[in-house]
Amino acid sequence: MFNKKLFNKTLDKFIMLTISIVVILFILYPFIAVFIESLFEDGSINLSKLFNFIITEKKLIYNSLLMAILTAVLTTTVTVAIAIYWFISGKRLKKIINATLFLTLISPPFISSLSYINLFGRRGFITYELLHLRINPYGLPGIVFMQSVGFISLNALILIGILKTMDSSTINSARSLGAKTNNIITDIIIPYLKSGIVVVFMLTFVRSLADFSTPAIIGGSYNVLATEAYLSIISAGDINRSALINLVLFSIAIIIFIIFRNNFKNISTNSFSNGDNNIVINKSGLIFNIFKIITILFLGILIIQYSSIFISAFTKSIGGKKHFTLEHFNNSKQYFTTTYVRSIVYSLIAGITSSFLGLFIVYYMQIRKLKFFKFIDFIATLPYIVPGTFFGIGYILAFNKAPLKLTGTVYIVVLNLIFKVLPFATKTNLTTVSQINKELTNSVKDLGGFGLYDFKDVVLPMAKESLFLTFVNGFTSSMTTIGSIIFLVYPAQKLITLVLFDVVQSGKYGVASVLSCLIILTCLLINGLYYKIISKKEK
Amino acid sequence: MKKSKLSLIILLVFSLFLVSCSQKDNTKETDVVTTKNTEESSSLDFEGRTLNVVTTSDAYVDLFNKFAKETNSKVEFLSMSSGEVLAKVRAEGGTPMADLWFGGGLDAFMDAKNDDLLEAHNSDLTKEVDSKYKDPEGYWYSKGLTVVGFLVNNDVMKEKNIEIPKTWADLTNEKLKGEVIMSDPSISGTNYAALKGLLDLFGEEEGWEYIEKLNNNIDFYGKRGKDPQEKTSEGEFAVGIIPADKSAFDLAEEKNLTVVYPEDGIPWVPEGVAVFKGSENADIAKAFIDFMLEDENLEELAKLDGKDSAQIIKPGIKGFDLGLPADKLIEEDLSTFGSDREAILNKWKEIAGSKASND
Repeated sequence: MFNKKLFNKTLDKFIMLTISIVVILFILYPFIAVFIESLFEDGSINLSKLFNFIITEKKLIYNSLLMAILTAVLTTTVTVAIAIYWFISGKRLKKIINATLFLTLISPPFISSLSYINLFGRRGFITYELLHLRINPYGLPGIVFMQSVGFISLNALILIGILKTMDSSTINSARSLGAKTNNIITDIIIPYLKSGIVVVFMLTFVRSLADFSTPAIIGGSYNVLATEAYLSIISAGDINRSALINLVLFSIAIIIFIIFRNNFKNISTNSFSNGDNNIVINKSGLIFNIFKIITILFLGILIIQYSSIFISAFTKSIGGKKHFTLEHFNNSKQYFTTTYVRSIVYSLIAGITSSFLGLFIVYYMQIRKLKFFKFIDFIATLPYIVPGTFFGIGYILAFNKAPLKLTGTVYIVVLNLIFKVLPFATKTNLTTVSQINKELTNSVKDLGGFGLYDFKDVVLPMAKESLFLTFVNGFTSSMTTIGSIIFLVYPAQKLITLVLFDVVQSGKYGVASVLSCLIILTCLLINGLYYKIISKKEK
Repeated sequence: MKKSKLSLIILLVFSLFLVSCSQKDNTKETDVVTTKNTEESSSLDFEGRTLNVVTTSDAYVDLFNKFAKETNSKVEFLSMSSGEVLAKVRAEGGTPMADLWFGGGLDAFMDAKNDDLLEAHNSDLTKEVDSKYKDPEGYWYSKGLTVVGFLVNNDVMKEKNIEIPKTWADLTNEKLKGEVIMSDPSISGTNYAALKGLLDLFGEEEGWEYIEKLNNNIDFYGKRGKDPQEKTSEGEFAVGIIPADKSAFDLAEEKNLTVVYPEDGIPWVPEGVAVFKGSENADIAKAFIDFMLEDENLEELAKLDGKDSAQIIKPGIKGFDLGLPADKLIEEDLSTFGSDREAILNKWKEIAGSKASND
């Protein structure tokens, strides 16, 4: 017994120490490496570089901020509409909305912006062929629209998760007092969602700021910081300038993040529980109908967008007309290689490791109330608010020489994937863990539990849902990420997104569509399997 | 609880799997060192070794496979733009990211040579290469030429009632305002070649005058090399300035487009090949360059690249017949191709203003 206790305590200490070290080493240290690269010159800090940049490139900064604000406003508005419409609608509709949102969490890179041009371009299917418009789709409106389409699904799932936890009694009593749907929405539901809305707004703002690929494809002459950071490397091999731009992006994001940080504590994201609270609200009223239209429009856009990927996987155009073909499918066979298996393995490792790592961090911070882990949690959030290129450059600068030489190994890629998705894992797990009743963990202690017992007996069983969600996010984004790993991968460690990048670059859109469908299917399959394993064990 | 154990086990198994994989690679590599200095013979044997290549696209798989088969080695490749290659190798303090650098605009290769990132290679086969297509000291070779042409969307032209442009001068037609697209020449090697070629063709002064006029018809410069091709074929623009190769002609057939070689002069740029300095398998990379220079392999390469006979670096080798008039290729001054790059791009940025990527 004594030995067991000792063992447990040692294990506890060991885990704490390991987590602290890896988070500092693989997140904080690469960040510091970027700061040093961008601000240090001949061994001393040179802030004037930063100020000069801000003065000469204020247009770029203005453009980025404007884009991020507009995207955040549009995304948040639509997200709120969808979440509330979901809340009021019936069981079957709920399922359909949920499924569509879930499916569209997986968006293979490049393809969505290309399908935007196909649909809304000067000769796009919707704008030109259906509506006979000849509009210019490039520039700010295009970016804002496309980014929003990409961000809404995840955000809507977050808000829906919050609504699931809503106590039905308030609404039911309001109803029995004769409250109209309009009033229920404005007076009860929206106030309830308040911190969720702030979080969604903030996350979108930060992600929009960090997105480089959408503005690169459809920005036209509208230039933003994130794209510029990437292009400085591609066009001139100028890693220093890129690091500097990334530092500016980071500064903006961190300010926003610190201001709104407290809102995170109040939200919950149990988006996969089938919580069925008996709320019946009249499906009427102006606001309800507006929300309904927004939701239908948005789901329609998603469906068209994903079908267009599917259609271009199986069609070929000859002389301007489309024909059915299996050619792309046959051509993509050569890509079913070790690269594909490797991507799945890396993504599994990233998904599983990050979700457990995230849970441990939250456990030490929230249940054990260790002050130091507040700091660790803060560091663990950093990768979320910077563009992928920042994190990639950080790794390459931090780990290119002994004793920490990791460049060229598989580890640098896998580690980068794990820590890139860790922020989502800590945030999601936090919302679950904050709901754990303190009495539960105390009672474990009263019953003689020590060290990690409360983790094993209380936290872990309660965190199943959020572990699943973090796994899904970790796996899916690792399967589709490109910005951070493009600088780290060596020829023998190629991943499927890089292959997709290649195929898109060579203009083989048919094959690219087949690969995208394949990535979507794989993600669904693995996520489904993982869910099966989890829910089976639950019974 | 059981579930989490299961997940942990899965995780463990995978990490073991990974570790064992990477260890396998390591042992292979150590084997290699011992057999590295075998005598070169007519049939090279690199058993158990891997040639790592950074290249421009996945078009060369067949050639890589053929080399792998002939030399009993393995070839792994990764696609990257030349700017990324340079940035990455510099950021890693000169540690080579691969053994062989295959394809990409020559200016990057010239930069890399200046930065001391390349290793020279000279052999009997490289001697035969025309001095136009190689570095005098053997630091880089050309694998073929990219030539610049127009991709024209017939439907849009018909709708706008404009004749298909035949010359660079035609592109400044006022009717084409907002209908011409080219990529940012600091990103696209092809479009930099266009700029440089036009300056060589028209001369400094007249050249810049022309570029200003062309700029009036351009709404924005694409941020990806593929933009002009992609957006012209989708009908977003009437004319795109593109690398004219077989794939462009194929696309033209598919989507009702026309590929035009400008009659007043065709800009071109050699694509580079080089060995990275201090790379682990530099010997295989050198063997690959010799392999590439063999007639039948150059022919194969031309096929994969979709090149006309006039785009091949050795005379007498047959490529596709794309109707490329060799006499229309501009007399270019390659010696200033790399050294003038920054000055040319800066001047271009002044003209392009906010249409370019860098304000």
